[in-house]
Amino acid sequence: MDQFYGIFLYIISLLTMGGIYAILALGLNIQWGFTGLFNAGIAGFFAIGAYVSAILTTAPSLRHLGGYELPYVVSFAAAMVVSGIIAWAVGKVCLKLRADYLAIATIGIAEIFRLILKNETWATNGPRGVSMIPKPFETLPEPWNHLCFLGLILAVIVVIYLLLETARNSPWGRVMTAIRENEKSAMAAGKDIEKFRMEAFVAGCMLMALAGAFIAHYLKFIGPNATDPLTSTFLVWVMLVVGGSANNRGAILGAFLMWTIWSASEILTSRLPDELAIRTAYIRIFLIGLALQIFLQRFPKGIFPEVRPKPERRQSVSDGVTDNATSR
Amino acid sequence: MSYMGKFLLAVSAVALAASTANAAEVKVGSVAGVTGPIAELVDPIIAARNLAAQHVNDQGGLLSGDTLKMVLSDSACDPKAGVDAGGKVVNVEQVVAVVGASCSGATNGMVQSVTIPAGVVALSDSATAPSISELKDNDLVFRVAPSDAYQGAALAKLAYDSGVRKLAMTYSNDDYNAGIAGVFEKEFAAMGGTITANQAHEPNKASYRSELSTLSNGGPEGIAIFAYYGSSGIAIIRNSLENGLFDRFFAADGMFDTSVIEQIGADNLRDRISITQSASDYADSSYQAFEKIFSATGKDPKAPYAAHGYDASFLIALAIEKAGSADRSKIAAALRDVASAPGEVVRPGEWKKAKELIAAGKDINYEGASGNVDFDGNGDVGGIYSVNVVGDDGKWALSLIK
Repeated sequence: MDQFYGIFLYIISLLTMGGIYAILALGLNIQWGFTGLFNAGIAGFFAIGAYVSAILTTAPSLRHLGGYELPYVVSFAAAMVVSGIIAWAVGKVCLKLRADYLAIATIGIAEIFRLILKNETWATNGPRGVSMIPKPFETLPEPWNHLCFLGLILAVIVVIYLLLETARNSPWGRVMTAIRENEKSAMAAGKDIEKFRMEAFVAGCMLMALAGAFIAHYLKFIGPNATDPLTSTFLVWVMLVVGGSANNRGAILGAFLMWTIWSASEILTSRLPDELAIRTAYIRIFLIGLALQIFLQRFPKGIFPEVRPKPERRQSVSDGVTDNATSR
Repeated sequence: MSYMGKFLLAVSAVALAASTANAAEVKVGSVAGVTGPIAELVDPIIAARNLAAQHVNDQGGLLSGDTLKMVLSDSACDPKAGVDAGGKVVNVEQVVAVVGASCSGATNGMVQSVTIPAGVVALSDSATAPSISELKDNDLVFRVAPSDAYQGAALAKLAYDSGVRKLAMTYSNDDYNAGIAGVFEKEFAAMGGTITANQAHEPNKASYRSELSTLSNGGPEGIAIFAYYGSSGIAIIRNSLENGLFDRFFAADGMFDTSVIEQIGADNLRDRISITQSASDYADSSYQAFEKIFSATGKDPKAPYAAHGYDASFLIALAIEKAGSADRSKIAAALRDVASAPGEVVRPGEWKKAKELIAAGKDINYEGASGNVDFDGNGDVGGIYSVNVVGDDGKWALSLIK
């Protein structure tokens, strides 16, 4: 009985982490999937969200800035707003750059943020991190504390999903696709490209900060090691690409799927003899790469490829439009 | 969602099949930073943990002859992975207690969001952050690794007692070294010494000349270095000597390695460097017992925190035996009981003796390879430290700080 209950709790934790990654992947999907912005600095905005929410909710501590003990609603909103403002400033400088240059610039900027958070010891306790962060619903008895926290995350995902789907099907979404597919022709159609790119970048970074806020409360601790680029930037890219770029359901599926592979593969490797188990810890990292290869071989556009919204049909528009549009 | 469903099913099925296969098996989680920044330090620690389990199993096993199984899980020195690893051993593997995690950050996350809520004892063998002492842990978090607070204070006293009053200091900006440096700064000033300058540095730079020349202003008599020898420590000593900026060095245990002497030269360092190290009392019979058995496996018994790793596993086994059942809720009290006086002294490798004593209803007191492992109110142990200087034979000469 304990065994089933334990597995039940583990599945909750899998879904919780998968859900947090799904929010990250949805944020990246706005930027890369819809608009074609190559943001390789997810970890930076993730870290900003985590630290802002952590500092605003913790009890007073001599080790870091804090003692505000604000409600979660305020801290989540603040994390998104701070990240949005910073993203706007970054966007002002970087968004004029073309895809690959934007990627390099965002890697650099994310590292700058991470180093600031690591070195401003008075605010963040530097490399030692912020501990004893409160967690929503933690006073409820088990398993309700875990279930309610998961429920909160899933509810947030549903809200984000519905908002993004509405945006995608709206004229706004079609402009984004136009910019992604052909910037010049979108400009020729009279669209203010810079403004639209900025909107996508800021919205995506705000979602990344929200995911960061959730991770800080989920772990009850945040330190520089929790925001390293391997698991906070590149794993998110893998999730989006596997799930299906420019498809919100794909982003969500990719996040849950890849996190499950990342986490659950160890349950198998830990059953090996000790010497092997130490080595196979590295094989899990290899597995992620292998999974990426396999999924991309079988599903070149991700498990759920992009589905373009149906154009409002007039008799003169032929069916060919939708077919052309899906090829990138 | 069908893929997700299949994966979850497969995972549950495998976990279930494997866990019900062997009923006479008592599982203890072994969470460590197998991958990640301290991977090479972790290898001997895991070997030591497993050696303790092997002793238990070879000398009669747990309780009524059950096997002690250490279930390895990777915390990657990352709080996200630490929480995930802790969740796996506690929930899926249903371990009785957890040894680990390795890094302070991963430990901090794991105990707060997994083991404390689940009511499982976590005993870390290498997490040293002072903040872990402050957690509201329902007496479920223990450490056999001394908090940094102790080593910082020990090094400050060593420097002050050697007659130095004005020191510059620099630390590598990671959680371990920054923590010790912070305590050192406070303690040295409290004794009446002066820190002329204190600067963090990023590891893995080619040269630290500019940092060092800034640090040498204000007439310091020496420099305290908190760094890992490979990533910045050796370069700092070399740059200091080459440019005549410093010729007296104090350092914490991240700097302790034979490669420091090999690369700088024994003659250049003699009478110039003192390194504190979280140590075992090498003259102590508990340590010698551990040294003998651990050397036989081909590993270095003086590897950082290896002795602590052995003690952590052995203590958990003793606590299970003392509790009389593999019941999570009884471990914490039993752990305090077996770790401290009163009771007959048990040393590393003496599982059979301990088992017989417990069976006879006698109190035992485990004296570990890393120290006496008497837990205080926070579940911490006081540290034993050694100071290392360059001896006449050009090797590290070690003496215990009393």
